[in-house]
Amino acid sequence: MISEEEIRKIAKLSYLKINDNEIEEMRDKFSSILDYINKLQELNLDNIAETANLSKTDNVFREDVSEKKDSEGLINAFSKKKDRFLEVKKILYNED
Amino acid sequence: MKTDFYKMTIGEVSEGLRNKEFTSLELTKAFLERIKEKDKEIKAYINVTEDLALEQAKIADEMIKKGEGNILTGIPCAIKDNIMIKGVKCTAASKFLENYIAEYDATVIEKLKKSGAVFLGKTNLDEFAMGSSCENSAFFPTRNPHDLERVPGGSSGGSAAAVAGDLCVYALGSDTGGSIRQPASFCGITGIKPTYGAVSRYGLIAFASSLDQIGPMTKTVEDCKIVLDVIKGKDKMDSTSTDSIKEVKMDKIRIVVPKEYFGEGLDKEVEKSVKDVIEFLKSSGAEIVEVSLPNTDYALACYYIIAPAEASANLARFDGLRYGIAFDGNEVDKVMDIYLNNRTNGFGKEVKKRIMLGTYTLSSGYYDAFYKRALKVRTLIRQDFEKVLEKVDIILGPTSPCLPFKIGEKSDDPMSMYLADIYTVSINLAGVPGISIPCGKSSTGLPIGLQLIGAPFEEEKLFIISSLIEKKYGRN
Repeated sequence: MISEEEIRKIAKLSYLKINDNEIEEMRDKFSSILDYINKLQELNLDNIAETANLSKTDNVFREDVSEKKDSEGLINAFSKKKDRFLEVKKILYNED
Repeated sequence: MKTDFYKMTIGEVSEGLRNKEFTSLELTKAFLERIKEKDKEIKAYINVTEDLALEQAKIADEMIKKGEGNILTGIPCAIKDNIMIKGVKCTAASKFLENYIAEYDATVIEKLKKSGAVFLGKTNLDEFAMGSSCENSAFFPTRNPHDLERVPGGSSGGSAAAVAGDLCVYALGSDTGGSIRQPASFCGITGIKPTYGAVSRYGLIAFASSLDQIGPMTKTVEDCKIVLDVIKGKDKMDSTSTDSIKEVKMDKIRIVVPKEYFGEGLDKEVEKSVKDVIEFLKSSGAEIVEVSLPNTDYALACYYIIAPAEASANLARFDGLRYGIAFDGNEVDKVMDIYLNNRTNGFGKEVKKRIMLGTYTLSSGYYDAFYKRALKVRTLIRQDFEKVLEKVDIILGPTSPCLPFKIGEKSDDPMSMYLADIYTVSINLAGVPGISIPCGKSSTGLPIGLQLIGAPFEEEKLFIISSLIEKKYGRN
């Protein structure tokens, strides 16, 4: 079974918070999936190429010209703004 | 207008409109009335776009008057709520996007708008299309019109229920591992996942980009073909899209039945119905070949590595700053706390689990053991299909191993829910097209569906054989 420490580590990498009372359920559900996907360890995969993408198209290029688009809708969707700028909290800080 | 207007197919509605038996506005109003009455129970729609629909219907009536447009002009349809319509809320059934208003049209929407389509509303789904029952919607579960205690399937369960409940003429869904075909099967309708690249994904909220495809969900095979013809094609906004759908001819039909699709865990009634169709096709002169798709057994494990891995990357963009709901209070003073608050409160349980699973299989130390292995297994699965489809036209099997289950029945056990996708996920991994069509009902009256799988861009073959089966078994 996956450890509590590992669950906490994955949550941190995922930018998610886990409450203490959720840990056990998470370990449980996670482990049942990991047991299942471990099935792939049975196969001998030496010399098999990887398929990450099925697209057969070549790279697509376009002229590098800017297009003027209406940005009002995008700006209105900001969670917090000052004038037309997105407002966020402190970005630089010491990790505690 | 006929009293059972809501049962009409696209062809029938289009004829009625052109012959001036009714107008699009009358039809649209009638559907909106029907939704008000019936959707209280079924709950297929998250958002009914009444004003937009009425406005579009008027435009469509003008187009028809002038002899413009095409077969979809003036026909009311439903759109899965992870496909964007400019100016309309697009939630992906997530609390995170509860108030998000789409800033642009998806390419499929643009194409439908040009055709003069009428959008009745946005349909329910499992949050971010992650699920097989619609129970993972952050808002409410949708019910199966054939039995309100049961799920409509998922993730395009709202679209399937809207079509099956006659709350629209047709709908669009999206399919990453079976999300069009499994709900089509559960609701007794037709749904196709086109070949990867056949339809532009621009404007579809991404789940797993190498697997996602948009496709039609309809009352008949003919309708499915009509809608696909309108939405397909190369799009400069999606570099994976192409103009490759082929014209095909078929003289003798050769069908493969993989023995792996009739193994352990398959419901007996589903098995019987599908085998009955095989006998029918045989008696109609089709050649039936039994073969093996040896890596079928590994497809689900492969899928549950690749799809969450891609999802964890795609959903990393959701921080709640530029759009989406913001949960941060004034108690935080670092940007990281905002991310954590928004993501933790905004995503539902299943979505968080999949983000974490994907993060895990991509993380240092596990990447080789899981993600890299899965990419190799994907090659084997693709080759299985290529080898078989070189020699025959179609692969046939059940769409889902089980009948529509009760709401709540599988929600506690993740693996039993994931196993509902066992016959559909390999098709997305291989990128080939797959269609689900009804092939009868269980003794308790629940719909049963079968799946036909074809070679890349040979959707036409799926339609030809599906029509044969539909003629014999009727539509639900």
